[in-house]
Amino acid sequence: MPKPTWLKLLLVSLIPILVALLAACEDEEQSAATATPTTTPQATLTPASLTFMAGFKPQANLPFVGAYVAQEKGFFQEQGLTVDIKHSRTSGEEFRFLVAGEVQITTADAAVVLERRSGDPPVPVVAVALIGQSGQQGFAVLADSGIQTPKDWEGKTAGYKGSKPTPDYLAILDAEGVDRSKIQEVRVGYEPQVLTEKKVDVLAVFISNEPDTLARLGYPVRTFEPADYGVPTLGLTYVTSESYLQEHPDIVQRFLKAALKGIYYAKDNPEEAIDIVLKFAPEEDREHQKFMFETELAAALVGPAQQNGIGWMTADQWQALYDKLQRYQALSGPLADLSAAYSDQALQNIYRDGQLQWP
Amino acid sequence: MTEVPLHEPWEPLALAPPRWNGALRAVASYVLPPAVALAIGLIFWEVWTRARDISILLVPPPSRVIDRFLDRPGFFLGEGMTTLYEALLGLALGAAVAIAAAVLMAHSRLAERALFPLAILVKVTPVVAVAPLLVIWFGFGLWPKVCVAALISFFPFLVNSITGFRSVSPGAMEFVQSLRASPLDVFLKLRAPSALPYLFAALKVSLPLSLIGAVVAEWFSGDKGLGLVIFTANYQLDTPTLFAAIAVLAVIGVSLNIGASLLERRVLFWHEAFREQG
Repeated sequence: MPKPTWLKLLLVSLIPILVALLAACEDEEQSAATATPTTTPQATLTPASLTFMAGFKPQANLPFVGAYVAQEKGFFQEQGLTVDIKHSRTSGEEFRFLVAGEVQITTADAAVVLERRSGDPPVPVVAVALIGQSGQQGFAVLADSGIQTPKDWEGKTAGYKGSKPTPDYLAILDAEGVDRSKIQEVRVGYEPQVLTEKKVDVLAVFISNEPDTLARLGYPVRTFEPADYGVPTLGLTYVTSESYLQEHPDIVQRFLKAALKGIYYAKDNPEEAIDIVLKFAPEEDREHQKFMFETELAAALVGPAQQNGIGWMTADQWQALYDKLQRYQALSGPLADLSAAYSDQALQNIYRDGQLQWP
Repeated sequence: MTEVPLHEPWEPLALAPPRWNGALRAVASYVLPPAVALAIGLIFWEVWTRARDISILLVPPPSRVIDRFLDRPGFFLGEGMTTLYEALLGLALGAAVAIAAAVLMAHSRLAERALFPLAILVKVTPVVAVAPLLVIWFGFGLWPKVCVAALISFFPFLVNSITGFRSVSPGAMEFVQSLRASPLDVFLKLRAPSALPYLFAALKVSLPLSLIGAVVAEWFSGDKGLGLVIFTANYQLDTPTLFAAIAVLAVIGVSLNIGASLLERRVLFWHEAFREQG
């Protein structure tokens, strides 16, 4: 790509300084390399510390619940881990911290993992467990709006989040033969009032969140879920960086084992799990958190997870998601190696016949 | 022995036409120092990111940012124009409302006591908190962005206008009143000219603020503008695009400020501050 001439001139004039700086840094790196022993995967439970950053505010998203419960019930401790749980405050922050090495494991939508890996610059992240076997996003209309099918969206206003309409939305339109040109699409924020105030007729929502919030506000909604129209979707994953997984596969595996144990514990003890969630999110409404937890738990117990255990994922699932994202141009470009975006090695190690091996 | 003249003229400069001479001096004294400082800063940034092998996902080297801008200059400038348009409309609205309120407050202490606390309320309300609500109230078009830019520009204009309208010298006021001038004449011929330096000060403070307001509003709605570019690039960890958008925003802000300063010099040529500078 072209670079401005003045910049080149200035850089050239500073080559001696640059060379000196590089030499100094090389020296520093060499001495650091000599001083630090090579890290190898540990067979025993040697104590380790890591930071887990939940990809949003404290609430009952299932991967968050797994970590909260694992922390409170001592599952991380049993795995020899000291885990610092943090929460992302702005979109994308968790990936930035992951790349910077400040955070070792976070959560992200499976589609986002592929989008980031295909980005320019690409973000080297790897999904290590798929908690949501179906996507988080759906589309809500007011129950009394008269909108019964996606075909009824024609002539209406549809609100989307983010920078453009999602592949899920476009795939539903395709599946149902909806004429997109007859829909007015507007970018909206995260306030569901745009639906209740009838600024939009169709609103992109998180299935485990806004429908319940709106119903509690006195506005029952009807939701359209992509999976009902044959659209392949995947939900939240646990994510780490390529380098951390390469250097510390054992720690990732121990984290995953404890967090999944936390999810199973929450499944068997939902009221206690919600109590634990509320310790992390004291301002949240208990019933709403319960709705979120139950919705996401239901989505975690279907598909390959039924047979193989929560978090299980297959190459076919990722391929179907990738194909959809490619078809609707959600990726910056094709991925050279789709299989590098996820790793089920830890899952293979911690499950036997669909049973989580503990400890 | 050669005779050396006591006052050796410096021929090259003496030959240059006086206007060019002045222009060159102005360039040397106003443009060169910041340009050199910026160049040094950019070079240091480039060398630092490369020497330390800083991930581009965290801090991109300036060369990558420039490359990204040069890849799609039309895109960045187009988005910048959208943001500029929203910001200037908001600035105009905020300034108009503030000046109208200031006229009222400058004439009536009661009005000031009643309205100024409300103005402070507007000032301390974080625009990030109200921007999403403005979308719900005004829809997805231009108005929410204009309103946020207006809200953020309002207070500097209000405070400076009130001070300006009251900054009339008592002697001048007595003189005009001795001529039995009407209140409108007093305002137009005395108060308004006295307030102009304050209004320009407010303009220079509010111009960049209005840009910030437009950008913040674009985070919450709309499908164009540098705010959306920044929002999306930040989410996607596309730091070269993020920094390119910020750079375009900075260039727009600096250009606006330079424009305001030039306009100020033209309009306030009679003011002592500019008379002294020539």
